[in-house]
Amino acid sequence: MKSFFWENLRIALSELWSHKTRSILTGTGIVIGIIAVSLMSTLINGVDGLFEESMKFLGRGNLYVEKWPWFGDEDWWTLRNRPRIELDMADEIKERSQYAMVVAAERGRSANLSYNELSAENIYIHGVTSNYPEVSTVDVEYGRFFTESEDRTGAQVVLLGSEVAKTLFPQGNPVDKMIFAGSKRFRVIGVLAEMGKFMGAFSNDTQVIIPLATFNKIFHGPWGRRSITVKVPEHLVEDAKEELRGVVRVLRGLKPEEKDNFAINQQNAFRQSYQGIKLAIGGTGMIITALSLLVGGIGIANIMFVSVKERTREIGVRKALGATRSQIQGQFLIEAMVITASGGLVGLIISTLISMAISEFLFPANMSFGVAFMAIALSAGVGLFAGLAPARKGAKLDPIEALRYE
Amino acid sequence: MSLIQVKDLYKIYQMGNTEVRALDGVSVSIEQNEYVSIMGPSGSGKSTLMNLLGCLDTPTSGEFFMDGTNVATMGDDELAHIRNKKIGFVFQTFNLLPKSTSLRNVELPLIYNGEIKAHERRDMAIRALTRVNLGDRVSHKPNELSGGQRQRVAVARALVNNPAIILADEPTGNLDSKTGEEIMTLFDELHKQGNTIILVTHEEHIAAHASRVVRLLDGKIAVDEATNRGKKVTQ
Ligand SMILES: Nc1ncnc2c1ncn2[C@@H]1O[C@H](COP(=O)(O)OP(=O)(O)O)[C@@H](O)[C@H]1O
Ligand SMILES: [Mg+2]
Repeated sequence: MKSFFWENLRIALSELWSHKTRSILTGTGIVIGIIAVSLMSTLINGVDGLFEESMKFLGRGNLYVEKWPWFGDEDWWTLRNRPRIELDMADEIKERSQYAMVVAAERGRSANLSYNELSAENIYIHGVTSNYPEVSTVDVEYGRFFTESEDRTGAQVVLLGSEVAKTLFPQGNPVDKMIFAGSKRFRVIGVLAEMGKFMGAFSNDTQVIIPLATFNKIFHGPWGRRSITVKVPEHLVEDAKEELRGVVRVLRGLKPEEKDNFAINQQNAFRQSYQGIKLAIGGTGMIITALSLLVGGIGIANIMFVSVKERTREIGVRKALGATRSQIQGQFLIEAMVITASGGLVGLIISTLISMAISEFLFPANMSFGVAFMAIALSAGVGLFAGLAPARKGAKLDPIEALRYE
Repeated sequence: MSLIQVKDLYKIYQMGNTEVRALDGVSVSIEQNEYVSIMGPSGSGKSTLMNLLGCLDTPTSGEFFMDGTNVATMGDDELAHIRNKKIGFVFQTFNLLPKSTSLRNVELPLIYNGEIKAHERRDMAIRALTRVNLGDRVSHKPNELSGGQRQRVAVARALVNNPAIILADEPTGNLDSKTGEEIMTLFDELHKQGNTIILVTHEEHIAAHASRVVRLLDGKIAVDEATNRGKKVTQ
């Protein structure tokens, strides 16, 4: 049994080698299909990793009371006309909510910073309450966070994101140095540990953090983000969300028939819409894959029929010398599978290169062994499927008629 | 028990309304180590008979026993097995695989045998090629060989599996008379070594190599007699 396999493999390779152009053209559909499926899975894996990494910034048990919902299809003008979030609601919420463990408030906008001749432009200034570390992943690498009394009194102190620290203080410890934010002087009290990017795009390391009261004192006007973060037990987050909605409605004096004029955002919203996006990407990929494998498979079936026809006499000779039906069938099946598996291999190499490029320039996307195995198995499977009918046709030929074929 | 025993063999082709009786009730027995030539005018059914004896074709009706087993009732795989192990077929048009070397062509029956290891196959194929004086042409492809050399490769391929019967359908038909004689010398040697040989020819001097001649006419056996050579042997 084994010897036919190697013999058939040898025949297949030399046959394909002697019809190089034809083999390449035939295999192209498979190459494309395999690129689609393996790149797809690799991208989804990569984006998944990125997503989970990013979700850490949001915290599973955090509810964010904000003007704008993160996702949804509500009318933009309605949203636009909502009142902005009154950050002093934070204390009331803490008071009234059963579930709330920590309630932090924050504002943000961008501004330019400078230290001596060095400057950092468009830096996100984050005004937060002193309990902010409890609801976020910020970590102080050097120095310290500000205290409650510094927050209350509006002290002009600042913590620098790791990138900002590198820009303004390329050689040395920024702690206790004085920097300018616009025209205001701030004393650096700490540097934040590196946090990475949110969804591979928004760096968390180019921000600076100041006390909320200081922010309110310096930056007037309605611009910028405002958010109240309510930290609740993770497993009760859905109940807590309902309660919080009620609390905010009461604080805002909404009548029962009036709609919410605020949004309560949470990680789940991201998750849901991410699942949606993932399904869409995956679905599109599957359709592309299925179509190209189908078209590729039909092409291969076609070329195998041609090959069987062209080699009728050869089949006759082999049968005259004692080849059985299954041996002939095996010969053509292996030939079809060699075309598709080589196509699959080429596709895999190309998608590995592409995913290496993506890892280099966009986000980590590594081809897993499972994906590679699946790609090869899938392409060989297509060959098996496409080769079956032609191979059977060749195997069933009558030896004497095949020998007479011109 | 005869090596080959054929009883009332018919092969009838239906061509539209007309019936072509390629074999019209043939009965013949051939013993171990016989050397038989089959003669007859073109269209008399010689090739049809050879193809049936070679298990390449199945009869319309009749019985065909080889070594006592009825071949006419065998399935596809059993026939393939018999073709592989018991029969060596030599064709008028050689029927070598054009892209394969002599060595690979000769190895083919051994590959389909399925029980012989690669290095043994190689040795056996080289021995067979040496036997037909082509030991120095193992890596030539058919188009790099002369007609006589090609037919010798085909003979090597027919004998490599040590078959009981060698069947040759006009093996010299495409060769000049000198090369034809070379091939016949090979058959004579194989016969001397104990093989059973059945060959089709329409040339009397080729048929004279055999010890028995069967003459067909319109699908029937017209004459079945010993040749001069055969008479000498039996005297
Ligand atoms: N496949 C076939 N279909 C129809 N008729 C055939 C076929 N093969 C052979 N014949 C007919 O059978 C007869 C015997 O053919 P064949 O055995 O090839 O003759 P020979 O070899 O003696 O010249 C011829 O009349 C031929 O036309
Ligand atoms: Mg003939």
